[in-house]
Amino acid sequence: MNCDSTKPNMSRREWLKLGSCGFGSVALAGMTANQSHAGPQTPRMPHFAPKAKRMIFLFMNGGPSQQDLLDYKPRLYQDGGKTGQNKQTLLSPLWDFTQHGESGLWISELLPHLAKQADRLCVINSMQTDSRAHPLAIPQLHTGSFQFVRPSLGAWVLYGLGSPNQNLPGYVTVKPTRTFGGPSNYGNAFLPSAYQATRVGWEGRPVKDATIKHLTSTEVVPGVAKGILDFTQSMNRRLLQRSGQNPDVQGVIDSLSLSSNMQKSIPQVMDLAKESKETLDLYGIGGELTDDFGRQCLMARQLVEAGVRFVELANSGWDQHSSLDTTLPKRCKEVDQPIAALLIDLERRGLLDDTLVFWGGEFGRQPETQILSGKVALGRDHNAKGYTIWMAGGGVRGGLAYGSTDELGYEAVVDKVHLHDLHATMLHLLGLDHKRLTYRYGGRDFRLTDIHGEVVKDIIA
Amino acid sequence: MRNTLLISWSAWLILLAAAAANGQEKKLDPAGVELFEKHIRPVLVEKCYSCHSKSAEMLEGGLELDSSMGLIRGGESGPIVDLENVDSSLLLRMLRHEEDVEKMPPEEKLDDEVIRAFEKWVSMGLPDPRDKSAPTTKELQEEERLQHWAFLPPKITPPPTVKNADWPRSAIDSFILAKIEAKGLQPVADASRATLVRRLYFDLIGLPPSPQQVKLFVEDPAPDAVAKLVDHLLASPRYGERWGRHWLDVVRYAESSGREFNFTYPHAWPYRDYVVDAFNADKSYDRFVCEQIAGDLLPDEPYGSAEDREARLVATSMLSFGTKRHNSGGMAYRMEIVDDQIDVTCRAILGITVACAKCHDHKFDPIPTKDYYALAGIFLSTEPLYGTIRQKYSNNPTELIPIGPNAAEMHAAAEEYEKIIDGVKKPWDAKKAELTKAEEAKKAAEKKKTDAEKAVAEAKEGDAAPAEALKKVVAELAAANSQIAKFKAEATPLEAAVKELEKSRPPRPPYAMSARDRANPADTKVAVRGDINQPGDVAPRGFLVAFSTPDVPAIDPKQSGRLQLAKWMTSQHNPLPARVVVNRIWHHLFGRGIVESVDNFGLMGTMPSHPKLLDTLAVEFMQDGWSIKRTIRKIVLSRTYQLSCATNEKNQNVDPENRLLWCATPRRLPVEIIRDAILAVSGQLDIKPPTGSPVTALGDQMVRGIDVKKLQPPSNHRSIYLPVVRDYAPDMFDRFDFPSSSLVSGKRAVTNVPSQALFLRNSEFVTQQANHAARRLLADKAAADDAARVDLAMRWAFSRAPTDEERQDALKLLEPILKAKAEIKDRDASAWATLFQSLFATAEFRYLVDIKSP
Repeated sequence: MNCDSTKPNMSRREWLKLGSCGFGSVALAGMTANQSHAGPQTPRMPHFAPKAKRMIFLFMNGGPSQQDLLDYKPRLYQDGGKTGQNKQTLLSPLWDFTQHGESGLWISELLPHLAKQADRLCVINSMQTDSRAHPLAIPQLHTGSFQFVRPSLGAWVLYGLGSPNQNLPGYVTVKPTRTFGGPSNYGNAFLPSAYQATRVGWEGRPVKDATIKHLTSTEVVPGVAKGILDFTQSMNRRLLQRSGQNPDVQGVIDSLSLSSNMQKSIPQVMDLAKESKETLDLYGIGGELTDDFGRQCLMARQLVEAGVRFVELANSGWDQHSSLDTTLPKRCKEVDQPIAALLIDLERRGLLDDTLVFWGGEFGRQPETQILSGKVALGRDHNAKGYTIWMAGGGVRGGLAYGSTDELGYEAVVDKVHLHDLHATMLHLLGLDHKRLTYRYGGRDFRLTDIHGEVVKDIIA
Repeated sequence: MRNTLLISWSAWLILLAAAAANGQEKKLDPAGVELFEKHIRPVLVEKCYSCHSKSAEMLEGGLELDSSMGLIRGGESGPIVDLENVDSSLLLRMLRHEEDVEKMPPEEKLDDEVIRAFEKWVSMGLPDPRDKSAPTTKELQEEERLQHWAFLPPKITPPPTVKNADWPRSAIDSFILAKIEAKGLQPVADASRATLVRRLYFDLIGLPPSPQQVKLFVEDPAPDAVAKLVDHLLASPRYGERWGRHWLDVVRYAESSGREFNFTYPHAWPYRDYVVDAFNADKSYDRFVCEQIAGDLLPDEPYGSAEDREARLVATSMLSFGTKRHNSGGMAYRMEIVDDQIDVTCRAILGITVACAKCHDHKFDPIPTKDYYALAGIFLSTEPLYGTIRQKYSNNPTELIPIGPNAAEMHAAAEEYEKIIDGVKKPWDAKKAELTKAEEAKKAAEKKKTDAEKAVAEAKEGDAAPAEALKKVVAELAAANSQIAKFKAEATPLEAAVKELEKSRPPRPPYAMSARDRANPADTKVAVRGDINQPGDVAPRGFLVAFSTPDVPAIDPKQSGRLQLAKWMTSQHNPLPARVVVNRIWHHLFGRGIVESVDNFGLMGTMPSHPKLLDTLAVEFMQDGWSIKRTIRKIVLSRTYQLSCATNEKNQNVDPENRLLWCATPRRLPVEIIRDAILAVSGQLDIKPPTGSPVTALGDQMVRGIDVKKLQPPSNHRSIYLPVVRDYAPDMFDRFDFPSSSLVSGKRAVTNVPSQALFLRNSEFVTQQANHAARRLLADKAAADDAARVDLAMRWAFSRAPTDEERQDALKLLEPILKAKAEIKDRDASAWATLFQSLFATAEFRYLVDIKSP
């Protein structure tokens, strides 16, 4: 792919021929809008037939404890209390694991709703990343690098594929963190700014009150918005004629009409009122602990259904150095039901097959007890050498536990998957070759995976 | 082990050199030659040459095996044979597919028999009959790379002759026309005066011309009207605010450290003012560059005033406001800063990417790893001064320099005063500590008392001990209470004294970032494959060997070498700096550089569309005192710059992208200028440069803890003065292609996306400015009726009157509001505000297009 990002390498018709399903009427309107000018978000041909057409990235900020959630370690139950290899006391998992689904995936009792989706989950227990410090690991998860300022995964995907619905932003991030890289975790770096995420809300504030900026008009006189726009466009069309059909003027005209469409579509898409009570209940909206993440998950479904290419949701507080016994169950309660609902809802709308859902943190945790200020705390320290993530939908093999850590969960030992490999695999599932998705900046072709990354073929359905 | 490798390698080279000098090669052992021909050469050809020879698409690992020299020299990680410890030779270990080395060939392990042959061959001392005098692949490549156009000295070429000899107004025009004519085309018509005046105002000072200014120029009968206008604009202080911003993009100027922690840089802004001033003063570009690299080391002559000296120190901030990972420390931290400094200076000034050479010889450009560390030694011998304080996640604070009138005295007084405060604070802190201790004792005594009381209540009759114990505890408690009272009494006046002192702190001067030499400048060692834990050869401090310049003195070992680096970077003999900056100017005036990849003139960069023109401009630039203003003047006075945006089917078919410059391409204004133009139209623009930056008041803290609104407080100053906090650019900037302030960027993206339209239609900023513009319009006595108001509004926004149709349409938009019976607050102003909102969102407001008549 060359760096001339504004030129699509396929026509809209070709893209439509590739097939898409499940889009609502708004989406279709967006996809068939009369666009004579190719914008940065115009759909582009993937490198090969994709398994997934869109992605939902569920970021569990802090590093979820795999030994207590998804990486079943019988030995750790037995050895709890003994001294571990790092000279601290081994901490038995505090919760029971049982097998679920036909696949018999081991899942902790903390995730009862997700457990019912076991056969849809492709769990990777052998993840590795390069840093065990949040400030470095979070940017690396999002951009592939903690050494340099690089575009985020979503920006790469949008640059590579464009987005199906021109009436909606192609890349949305909900409640992102301001810490550890902050906005650069959903930024565009050297890619054109059109590839940065549109932000909804901030970490720590209820999503209920969050909005997308500048969507509602601040018109001085009510009801004249259309008149203002019509006049602007008539000025533009005259200039277009005068300037010999200048493509940039056409670009302005298109962007203005799209902005109007966006104003109409976004509230329609992100509308809770049109969802049934059953759906709201499914996501746990209204529930004491589940309301916020339930709303986020429903929003993600609404957005991808309407043709947004990439959505990231975030939930914070997975950094259990202490109070593992109380805060981890709380975090799980917050996300378990909403995430299960998201999978169910995507499935019944026929979207799960080609929507890649990712769940994970920036790293995982240690099998040993945390020592904080010289005292034993009920918690676990960071672990970059072995941790767990899962994916679902979008061409991954469900009901699979891939790779493994050693008997206690210190380190991945079988079928190790480095974060670069995960990124390569995600792009692959989206129809993009991570080695060919490049952008020339400062005399060099850059890519998400730098010089690394192997696609993990074994997890692909 | 590395040492022996190096020794044996150098020994070999000496041996070879000696042999070559004697004009006779050491006679090769025939058995060795036979071994080579029979068992080694065929394997090299079949298994290795595809990646390690002339026929390789890319020389992998920098290792060439098709010559004996290449084989002896080794690859990026050093020599591959060790004649003293044959068995541990990297070559053999790789062939044997040992654990900790790269396995070669990668796909298959050679037969044991073959490996044994290699072992024998190495132990025999690498007998190799191949011609040693022929250049190796690398040498050939180097030679070829050095012939790259941008690495050869630029030359002046006389302008070519053209058929239409009347057309050119200057040499630039002849170069341009010759290429247009060569394609059988003609340039389009000249731009109208009305088009030109708007183009020049925006290009040179970044503000729209007022209707009076338009009139003045359009009606000026003088034959040199354009030149007069250009000179007038270049002399305006607004020029530096327009052109200085381009430089800030290139040097990734920002007021916070970015990266994962992102601390504020409260004292970065003086550099911004330095750049604006330098552009306004038309500081010669070579001087400008030298000051930023080595301002602290430059002699006072010929600029010896206190202001000059201070400006030079501020200039070196460029080395200090890069992104930083404040939480790390030691050599890794320092090296990251150095990497950034090398990257920014080489790309900004020389238009080449040197960063690749950190880990391996540059794959495309003639830059070996050793050069990288020669530069690194210079910057490692330099201490960047960026400030910040020691706090959580910030482990590496540095000093700053006080600036402004009486800076040193004020700084000294403030520091002295802090010492006085500390003098009182210390006993107060000691008292507080004692108080805390006493309070803890009291708490303990209270607990003991409760226990003792319980014991007394539960005591068996006749047992006096608990009562005794209680008495003791009560006494203990009383003692603690009296201690507390005493310490409190002693602490109170101390506290009051501290508070009193703190109230009347003397004012501090402003501060700035800077850089200076470290106490012990030194060379550094090559970090093998970029790993600082793997030191290789010492790389004496120096510059890129491919671009040697005869006029640069050797580095003074007692200095960092920045002064000489600066001289080398701006030497008349360095083929790059003048080309790069002239091309940057061209890029901003035409929307595309003669070299499109403005930050990369290396082999991976794009070829120039008009190489001879670029070179001529570059040489003239150097001869003319490296003056940016005069170069801009020369370009904007060319007929080429002054073409209209008209199109022409024939030209369009032959050259649809207008590389030949047969017309002017309509250009989108940068975001700063769109914002400034809105403020100019609304009459709200505060043209006076502000003092300092709002970031200063935020102090030293992590950006994430600061309310987003405080990072971008409302401002009516020109956009260049808005705070540049990494990752928190103003909303409008994010939407209109403001580049990442963490990265070098000489060229901004230009996109048309709906979020821009949403901003212009719905943001509070645009709505407010539309309201201001409406009030300004209604207050203007020159426009007496609605039609005249529409005219004036359009003149403000577009530098032209509306057409009849446009006027009618505008009135139609306004009519229902102006005549509305319903209650509308500030009806008239609201009506006209809607018109301005509409105008701000048009393409014409943000693109430089043709204007038929003013």
